[in-house]
Formats: sequence, C-alpha cells, structure tokens
Amino acid sequence: MPNQPILRYPHPVLKKVCNPVETIDADIHLLVVDLLDTMRAGPGSVGVAAPQIGVVLRVCVVDVSKNRHGKDNNHGLLCMINPEITAHAGAAITREGCMSVPDYTGDVERATEITVKFIESDGSRREINASGFEAIAIQHEMDHLDGILFLDRIISIKTGLFRRKSYQ
Amino acid sequence: MTQQPEILHYAVSVVGKDRPGIVAGIAEVLFRLGCNLADTSCTMLAGEFAMILIVSHPRPFSKSRLLDELKPVCDGMGMSLAMRTLHADEITRQETDDEICIISVYGADQPGIVYRVTRELAGRGVNIMDLNTKLIGSDEEPVYVMMLEAALPDGETPEGLEKLLENLKKELNVEIGVRVVTPVSF
Repeated sequence: MPNQPILRYPHPVLKKVCNPVETIDADIHLLVVDLLDTMRAGPGSVGVAAPQIGVVLRVCVVDVSKNRHGKDNNHGLLCMINPEITAHAGAAITREGCMSVPDYTGDVERATEITVKFIESDGSRREINASGFEAIAIQHEMDHLDGILFLDRIISIKTGLFRRKSYQ
Repeated sequence: MTQQPEILHYAVSVVGKDRPGIVAGIAEVLFRLGCNLADTSCTMLAGEFAMILIVSHPRPFSKSRLLDELKPVCDGMGMSLAMRTLHADEITRQETDDEICIISVYGADQPGIVYRVTRELAGRGVNIMDLNTKLIGSDEEPVYVMMLEAALPDGETPEGLEKLLENLKKELNVEIGVRVVTPVSF
C-alpha cells in the first residue's frame, strides 16, 4: 500500500491524540513504508505523521536531507515510533505550512535544539540531538501525534514591531 | 435560453474611529443578509479601524442592496463605506512559488521613503503583498518604519535586492534589510 492520500483538516483524525505503539509488528512495518512512500511522493515533503494518512498511532517519518534548509545539518531519514522530546533549548520563528492545511501559512515559534528519543522500526532505541530546520520539522510532525496543527501555534498575524503599540 | 446570472463579489472597505463592536456590527449585517466573508484584512491605524472585506452571496445579490443595508450601520458608527464590484474572473487564488521576503526600512522620517523604495521594487517586478508603515520615535526625532512583504520574480534574489537598495540606503540614510520568509511546508 504505497503513497497514501494526505488527509486534510477538518478530517477528525487530525485533531486526535494518537495512541502509543505497543508492539512493532508487520502492521507497523507496513505503516512506516506507507509513511515513507507518502513523504517521497509529496513534492518537497520533509515529513509525514501517521494521522495524516488516517492512522491514530504515534509514528512519524522525517527526512530534511534533501531540503535546502536542512541539507547541511541532519540525521538523514528518521523513522520515529513513540517519539518523545526529552530536552529543548532556544526558540526561533519560522513561517510554516502543512500538507493537511493547504493554502495557509503562519509564523510559529519552536525550539531550535531538541533531544528526542524514539524507537526505530527494527525495535532499537535511539536518542538524537537535532537542531535547526530538522528540529523544527520533528516538532511539527510530533505535534500531529497530539492532534496539534500549526494553526494552534500561530503567534503573529502582523509584523512583530507593530504589536506593542501605545498611544499616549 | 436563459443565462445563469453571474455571482458577484464585492470589495468593501469600512474605516472609522476605533472602538469595540465595529467588526460585530458589520458582520451582523452580512450574516443577516446571508453573505459570505472570504478574505478579510482589518487593522488599527493610528486609532482608526480599517476593514477591507471580500463579500459574496450564494445567490445573485445587487450592490445597491448591500449598500442600502451597510450604509445605515456605518453611518451609525461614524464610519466611511466604499464598495467595488468584482467579477468572477477577477477572483483569483493567490498561489506562488516565488521567494517571499520581508523588507524592512527604517530611519529618520523624511518625505519619499515609501515612494523611493517601492519604485525600485516595482522597476524589478517585485510584487508587494503586504505593507505596514508606522511613524514612531519622538516629536523631535521622528522615525519612520516600513515593513513590506514581497514576492520576488524569477531570477531575482534577496542578495540582488539588497544590492539594488544599497544606493538608496546611502542616499536616504536609512537602514534597509531583506530577509527570506518563504514558508516551509511540512
């Protein structure tokens, strides 16, 4: 089952908190393959989370190595099962968009450095320190596992300089 | 054979002294009429609240009817009202693969900052998508701040733009910066 259609909001699955994976069986392996095929089929896609293809499980894939923002600083292809961010630092604002919310973009603040632990599809445990664009992509995909869309995190609808206004 | 009447859109602008309830007042009229609000942009400018709305109706709906309904409400709130008819072929989906940049310009206030900068941009085919300006600082030392968001045409780069504006920067003695904000899609 290759390349699945990306669900778009208001599909209810996109707002669900996903369930942790209990055992890594053949179904999970198939899910990972579907996620990878879907990511590779999306033009310029750097990640897909399971709920985006209708599966309510804590699995996502990320690969920023081919993206101009991530090509110099990445861990290559990451297949993450039950990922957890255990530490984070820094903050940066990026204008994000999402295949599940087409035609809209917004400024989102995210940590610039994260430590994330997860289970790989062969069952081994792994912990990585990601930074920059890769860290942002991981946080975006992991948000999907909690039913959070970038729309829930937009922090600015106007140029920041004009927000603190006072007329005396 | 009868022709299907065209569904029109209306570009409506409403401006007046800011206070709570303006948006609700306008939105109530439109809701009551069964109008749809597509894209809108509303903001406060020096204590004035300025609304620009693209309004449509699922059935043919005349401009005069919309005007008749909005006018008394705007008059009641002391707000100006203007309206323009948009034909279906004027309603386009904004889609671009262009690089999007924020260009910041600021410095001692002086005549011509907006004109000189935007003329350079227009000359290179740079399309302004959003523009905010604000006069800040003190009466003695007024500072002008302009932020604009622009789509670069094919072949234009942020570096090229910065270089283009370099002369202007010196001439007007203002700071000019170009930053890429092209959205990243996940």
